[in-house]
Amino acid sequence: MKELEGLLDRIIQRVNINLRELEFDVNPLVQNLIPPNQMTKFYAFYGITPHHPLNLQFKHSNLAGSYFLGKCRVTNSLLYKSDIRGDELKKKGDLFQYHNFEIPVNRDEEIEIDDSFLIKTLVHNFSHDPETLEKFFIRDTISIHYANIHGSPTDGSFLGPFSTVDLTTTRDCLIGAFSYIQTGEISHMNIKPGTVWIRYPEEFNFLYRYPVDRLNNYIYFAAGTPPQGIFIDFVEDRKEAFQRIFSTVDVEPSVSVPDSASLDRYSVVKPKTHISANVLVAQRAYIQNSWLGKGANAQENCYIINSRLEGFDITAHGAKIIEADLGKNVFVGFNSFLRGRPESRLTIGQDSIIMPHTIIDIRKSLTIPDSHIVWGLVTNQQDLEENSMSLEAFSKIDAPLSRGNMTFEGNGLSFVASFKERIQHILEENGAFFNENSNEGHAQKNQNISFNTIQPYPKGDKKGLYPTISIQP
Amino acid sequence: MKKYLVKDLMVPLSEYATVSEGATLLETLLALEKAQEEFQHTRYSHRSVLILDKNKHVIGKLSQLDFLRVLEQENEHIEQINSISKFGFSPKAIIAFQENHRTQSAPIEKTLLTAAKLKVEDFMRSPSEAEYIKESTSLDIAIHQFTTGLHLGLLVTKGKDITGVLRLSDVFAAVFHAMKDSDLKE
Repeated sequence: MKELEGLLDRIIQRVNINLRELEFDVNPLVQNLIPPNQMTKFYAFYGITPHHPLNLQFKHSNLAGSYFLGKCRVTNSLLYKSDIRGDELKKKGDLFQYHNFEIPVNRDEEIEIDDSFLIKTLVHNFSHDPETLEKFFIRDTISIHYANIHGSPTDGSFLGPFSTVDLTTTRDCLIGAFSYIQTGEISHMNIKPGTVWIRYPEEFNFLYRYPVDRLNNYIYFAAGTPPQGIFIDFVEDRKEAFQRIFSTVDVEPSVSVPDSASLDRYSVVKPKTHISANVLVAQRAYIQNSWLGKGANAQENCYIINSRLEGFDITAHGAKIIEADLGKNVFVGFNSFLRGRPESRLTIGQDSIIMPHTIIDIRKSLTIPDSHIVWGLVTNQQDLEENSMSLEAFSKIDAPLSRGNMTFEGNGLSFVASFKERIQHILEENGAFFNENSNEGHAQKNQNISFNTIQPYPKGDKKGLYPTISIQP
Repeated sequence: MKKYLVKDLMVPLSEYATVSEGATLLETLLALEKAQEEFQHTRYSHRSVLILDKNKHVIGKLSQLDFLRVLEQENEHIEQINSISKFGFSPKAIIAFQENHRTQSAPIEKTLLTAAKLKVEDFMRSPSEAEYIKESTSLDIAIHQFTTGLHLGLLVTKGKDITGVLRLSDVFAAVFHAMKDSDLKE
């Protein structure tokens, strides 16, 4: 296992060199985070479909429990139970719109992961950086449990647990636990835990910062121990169900699935769940005793338990919905944690937007009216009043506003419109509007998918390393 | 215009506001007030206090701005207020943020009471290399040092000793009067 250990040391050193300006040492945080025997225990797997170009190249890497789709190269890296989903990459001939530029894409885009250590991380979407259209790179980077690297080329950075970089090129940055960044580009920044920052220069700037003492109950990460808190406990409590799925060769769906819907073979669906037409349930999603109305989706690492989603609801990567009733067209952003209780349910009115990385954790029933936007930490009615607004009111903001831990500046209408536009795009991509032969999306395309597994060296110096593998059509 | 040197315009250390290390913030401000009252050579009063060690060597400096910063440091939200600027907000948005958090901060009277008892060495600034200037330096060099460093005063040295303070206000006055004189002559 010498080579595997040497690889980890090499990655740590490269990340530390990039973060030297921030005087940050990743070594104590990650050196013993994943026991070496875990890195050799799990197979990696990849999907083949008629819809996605295929080109997978693995070299001098460990891929334990990770999943690959589309075009991806992995070199000198450790990928532990991560999802590298290249089903939205740009294709040769596409035109990339950036401000007033229409830039042609010269070749199929690829995800390129070099000298990085990704733990239970989701990599998805396509590079939104106009400077690197054909290459969605991740290099000299370490990301911890349930981080999302979404359309964000990343270089020399450390991403804490449950953090997200979304449509943002990230260079030499520290992204704290449960922080969400969507700003186009950042470099040399130390983002503290619980920072939610969405900025579009000249248009709007949104910032919310969690009270760290309260956030620590949900997620806390320090040197010497793995990430801790309610989020981790919640996921760990349901880990066994996934272990069964991953250790079984043939898995039959436990519920009836309409022809236009897709239930991933690596998802967990427990009774009594109802799957409607055009529903997408991605790998590593967990659904229990819930109703998923037409066009709803549950993306990777989502948990929907004892809940009802009326239809066209988006549960973005890593979001959790427990004991809740969602009207139609509700968007629940990345890694949000929405928890009602059996006797005090959470109700979310139709057309509402739950912003990425929102925590709603209640002990008394709570209702979010229709067409509202919610952010931050909400545990009761008073929090809700501070951390939400009607979309209509938010759209009227045209002067700086500071309220509770949130500060907003710019054009409220533009902010709301950009969310709505993105929600529409996600529904389209996921096939929510599929109608016989038109508007096909992931829910339809992912039905015909084959999975193959690959394994590492079982013993010797190379134990845990995968041989150099090239997988092409 | 007269060929000024730094030593022609500086305030000698003996006429400047000084306190010994160990003084409280209030004692430091009282020393500044006293020096301002006693120094009547020009209309411009002293704006900072030098802190001396037991050997009468200058070890630090506390300006009016430094004093105001002490009050801000006592505000538990100041770190948040400072950090918001790195997120690309405009001055207007930062003011909105400050006003939002003002209600959560301790009243200014309480802050003043606490700050008065603090030790000056905990808040003084050690002068940077760019804040020293030799007695024999010419005025044009001194002007450049002021404009590039955005300083209000420079510590004047002779050998290893600090002999005085060259104040921006005195340099300004000298240049201004020279300009006025030359204009009147024409």
